[in-house]
Amino acid sequence: MFHRFRVVRPDSVGEAVALLREHGDGAKVVAGSTAMTIMLRQGLLTPTILVSIAGLEALRTIRLRNDALEIGALATHRDVELSAVVRENAPLLSEAFAKVANVRVRNAATVGGVLAEADYASDPPAALLALDAEILVEGSTRRSVPIAEFFVGFYETVLEPHEIITGVRVPLTAHRGYAYEKFVTRSSEDRPCIAVAALVEVDAHGDCVDARIAVGGATETPLRLPEVEATLRDRPIDLAAAAVIGQAYADAAKPLSDMRGSSWYRREMITVWARRSLVVAAAMAVSRGGRQ
Amino acid sequence: MTTDEFGDRRDIPGMIDAWDRVTGAVPFTINQEIPGMLHAKLVRSLSAHARIAAIRVDRARRVPGVVTVLTGAQLAARRDISPYFGPFLRDQPILAENKVRFVGEPVVAVAAETIESAEEAANLVEVEYEDLPAVFDPVAAFEEGSPILHEEPPKMSSLFVDVTMRNRVGTNVANVYSIRKGDIEKGFAEADHIFEDVFSSPAVQHVPLETHVCVASVARGSITVWASTQTPHVVRAQLAEIFGLPLSSVRVIVSTLGGGYGAKTYPKIEPVTAVLALVAQRPVRLHLTREEEFVTVTKHAATVRMKTGLRRDGTITARQSTAYFNTGAYADVGPRVIVWGGFGQGGPYRIPNLFVDTYSMYTNTPPAGAFRGFGINQTAWAHEVHIDMIAERLGMDPLELRMKNVLEEGEAFATGDPVENWHSKELLQSVAENIGWTYPVAPHRNGSRIRAKGLSVSASRAIPLAVSTAAVKMNIDGSVNVLSSSVEMGQGIQTALALLAAEALTVAPSQVHVSEVDTDVTPYDQQSSASRGTYSMGAAVQAAADEVKGQLLQLASEELEVSPADLEVVAGHVRVKGSPDRCLSFSEIVRKSRSGNLMGQGRYRAGGALDPDTGLSLGPGPGHWHQAAGAAEVEVDIETGHVDVLRFNAAVFAGRVINRVQAELQTEGNVAFGVSQALFEEMVFDHGQLQNTNLGDYMISSIKDMPQQLNVTLLEYPERSEIHGVGETALPSIMPAIANAIYNATGVRVTDLPVTPEKVLRGLRLNGNGAS
Repeated sequence: MFHRFRVVRPDSVGEAVALLREHGDGAKVVAGSTAMTIMLRQGLLTPTILVSIAGLEALRTIRLRNDALEIGALATHRDVELSAVVRENAPLLSEAFAKVANVRVRNAATVGGVLAEADYASDPPAALLALDAEILVEGSTRRSVPIAEFFVGFYETVLEPHEIITGVRVPLTAHRGYAYEKFVTRSSEDRPCIAVAALVEVDAHGDCVDARIAVGGATETPLRLPEVEATLRDRPIDLAAAAVIGQAYADAAKPLSDMRGSSWYRREMITVWARRSLVVAAAMAVSRGGRQ
Repeated sequence: MTTDEFGDRRDIPGMIDAWDRVTGAVPFTINQEIPGMLHAKLVRSLSAHARIAAIRVDRARRVPGVVTVLTGAQLAARRDISPYFGPFLRDQPILAENKVRFVGEPVVAVAAETIESAEEAANLVEVEYEDLPAVFDPVAAFEEGSPILHEEPPKMSSLFVDVTMRNRVGTNVANVYSIRKGDIEKGFAEADHIFEDVFSSPAVQHVPLETHVCVASVARGSITVWASTQTPHVVRAQLAEIFGLPLSSVRVIVSTLGGGYGAKTYPKIEPVTAVLALVAQRPVRLHLTREEEFVTVTKHAATVRMKTGLRRDGTITARQSTAYFNTGAYADVGPRVIVWGGFGQGGPYRIPNLFVDTYSMYTNTPPAGAFRGFGINQTAWAHEVHIDMIAERLGMDPLELRMKNVLEEGEAFATGDPVENWHSKELLQSVAENIGWTYPVAPHRNGSRIRAKGLSVSASRAIPLAVSTAAVKMNIDGSVNVLSSSVEMGQGIQTALALLAAEALTVAPSQVHVSEVDTDVTPYDQQSSASRGTYSMGAAVQAAADEVKGQLLQLASEELEVSPADLEVVAGHVRVKGSPDRCLSFSEIVRKSRSGNLMGQGRYRAGGALDPDTGLSLGPGPGHWHQAAGAAEVEVDIETGHVDVLRFNAAVFAGRVINRVQAELQTEGNVAFGVSQALFEEMVFDHGQLQNTNLGDYMISSIKDMPQQLNVTLLEYPERSEIHGVGETALPSIMPAIANAIYNATGVRVTDLPVTPEKVLRGLRLNGNGAS
């Protein structure tokens, strides 16, 4: 079942990066190991060394810093779900992380892990994309990658083999309306067939100031269409406007087919859920009062 | 915390082993270790159908720690074993010999000092396959010119007498069961309407939490296996056949199972573990991964073509029905499943003219075996959706159509035997009332969500000609040991048997201990399956307890010098009627009589043999008709096709309930199975290669998928004192009730399980409904 490998536990990110450099493709980083265990069992990965960064407690912090929420890579899904700072400043994230699998998985799976795995059927990436998050990476140097550039394809990111995600930086937004609509076609613990994250800010008339819509689970990488979002500005987001957006996302998407739904079905679901998500977020924004 | 704080732990309502379960003290077979034990790993076929051109094991043999690397050819060359098994047809090689017949079939077995060495060696085995044309669909496998899986006639097994084998050598037909009842042509001639529909259901998994595990030890001409099996005596008999040993030389020990649901009936991994132990001359342990479990046994996929004739008023006059059950590459218990799948096509209905053919078909997919509901799931799916379709075509209330046609007491079942204790009407009425059934159906719409209700009714016949035996020992302190080969697998058989023995002997349940299974010690039982444990082993235990009671009365009469007829048994004592002072405790009786202990034995034998030509009953039936009705209320989002089961009412005939908590939980468990089989469970194959091999890709229902409101009705007639098994009774009615409710909400009729959101949405679009 398991390929043989060694587990090492470096004391710092620098040490971990050095180990990755030393062992090249034979080394893999592991933290919560919810995804790694499955890939090892299936023989999809055959590392000779697993670099466990689970002990680097400093990477587990969640804090506000310079108008941004910084979430350490080792924060678990459950940490994010329950964090008061997150709930206060980015409730969309609380919502998205809370909808992942079940509490056992959420207590183990980490923020860095779900990003590095780049599974198209994970919940957090779409929510982080809607929030314009930046991925903090450490390798030869430290760099930060806008999430829109981070995912390259199916289980593929811009990370170099020796690079480690140390956290994500989520700029604070003024959007008072948000929604994370996760749609499953099998068990309630399933990964999304499709999920839509939406953020909406309105002015005192209820007209849209800014709207963001990110579709996850349906395509190779989460989908955001800023030029389509822009068409919502300066007018109210009613059902008809939301439906147009849903259709525009569906038309632009290249949905995948898998056991959760065919490409046809996913395209249909983008139409429905982009609209619904937007309507929920817009209603929330309006009810909370617009920007003065 | 000590048990004292809770008083006697056996007085906890529910299960006798609840304490051990909660504290993790149950000794499951996966924890079984014996000194010197090796670990086994199997090399499995990568091809669905192929000749084995070559197997190279040299590199595997050189892995440090490897003790034995075994191939099918090596097994075939041995004179001391017969390397095939199967409860009806001994068609399954312990290791593939000349060819492989499904992806995942064991080809080479490795035993090594550590599991890591065994895995490494298994990875180094090279097998060359020459692919053969393959067939995956049971209907295609029936057609002329289909690839044939088994060219040679298999050896027959003589284990069971209840099924007549009509396998067709040189074809893919592993068995046929037919019913010829009445005059089918006359029946259709009498009909005003004839309707024909086709239904199918996929292979699904049982998903016991504990996958198959076996530890085997072979020494001095005898075999001991610790096995996770529901059929210890069948495993013993098949190992005896394989090794050419008397039954007395094969010992099967079974601890509490971590779930069974039919997956653990009949030999699976015990033969390969035992031959490895023989060849290695060391004890060997084999424990399947979930991925391996998925290709070890499945529920039968099935296609049913059902044609029913009715009079204008809805009275059924005739039914002709053909079903193809996909038994996979090896027959396993498929030849028996189709008997249930055969009479199951008659359902709980009065059908005077019935013509049924049911085929157990070989295909290049993993073997299908027993699955909770045993052949009735696939056929109730057909007849219960079919009857709703018919009701609509006739413009009739589907409840009324069912009430008009369900059997009543004493009428003939599909097999011709008169039904006894038959309550289909009461059960239907009960669920219809509970759900608030109305006709015409009145779907309730709220935005894009529509609610509606659906009904179903199902029935099955108990396993015929099965035998259970039990022994009851009364010790010198008046406490009681029950010796039984019933397997505890979470269904609570130990609790039920303890309660029955305690009741029969008027002692406290805490004074009774029920054994686990050890075929060296515990008496014969055919199997722990078919919802038969409580009624058949229960009857055997009651008979054994009665025998002990008779001995107590006899011994007390000698001691008290009173005729046994003047004695009575009350609360652990024998006393003289009318003189409560003249009384002996059970302990005093055993002690004073210098009996050591008292021993009684009991036996239960079911009747119910079927005629091989007509499929009809030859004499008295097996009794115990498993009867259920279900009613669902669902809410469908017509923009997505997504279904929520809001409410479910499951009603089963329970006769007399022994343990209410367990009987209700059994039924709730059936709903958990039924909801996910209705909505999303399906093993997906691509040219014989399973695509969803783990519990991330293959989902089962979670607690959140359960109906928000779940009512269980246990219909009882306790005065008749008759026990009915409820382990699987409710399941077949659940999937069609949900599908019928979905139809009533949406007008979308899905006839192939599961009813996924995508199928519902496609249907809505075809009907011109649903958004956009």
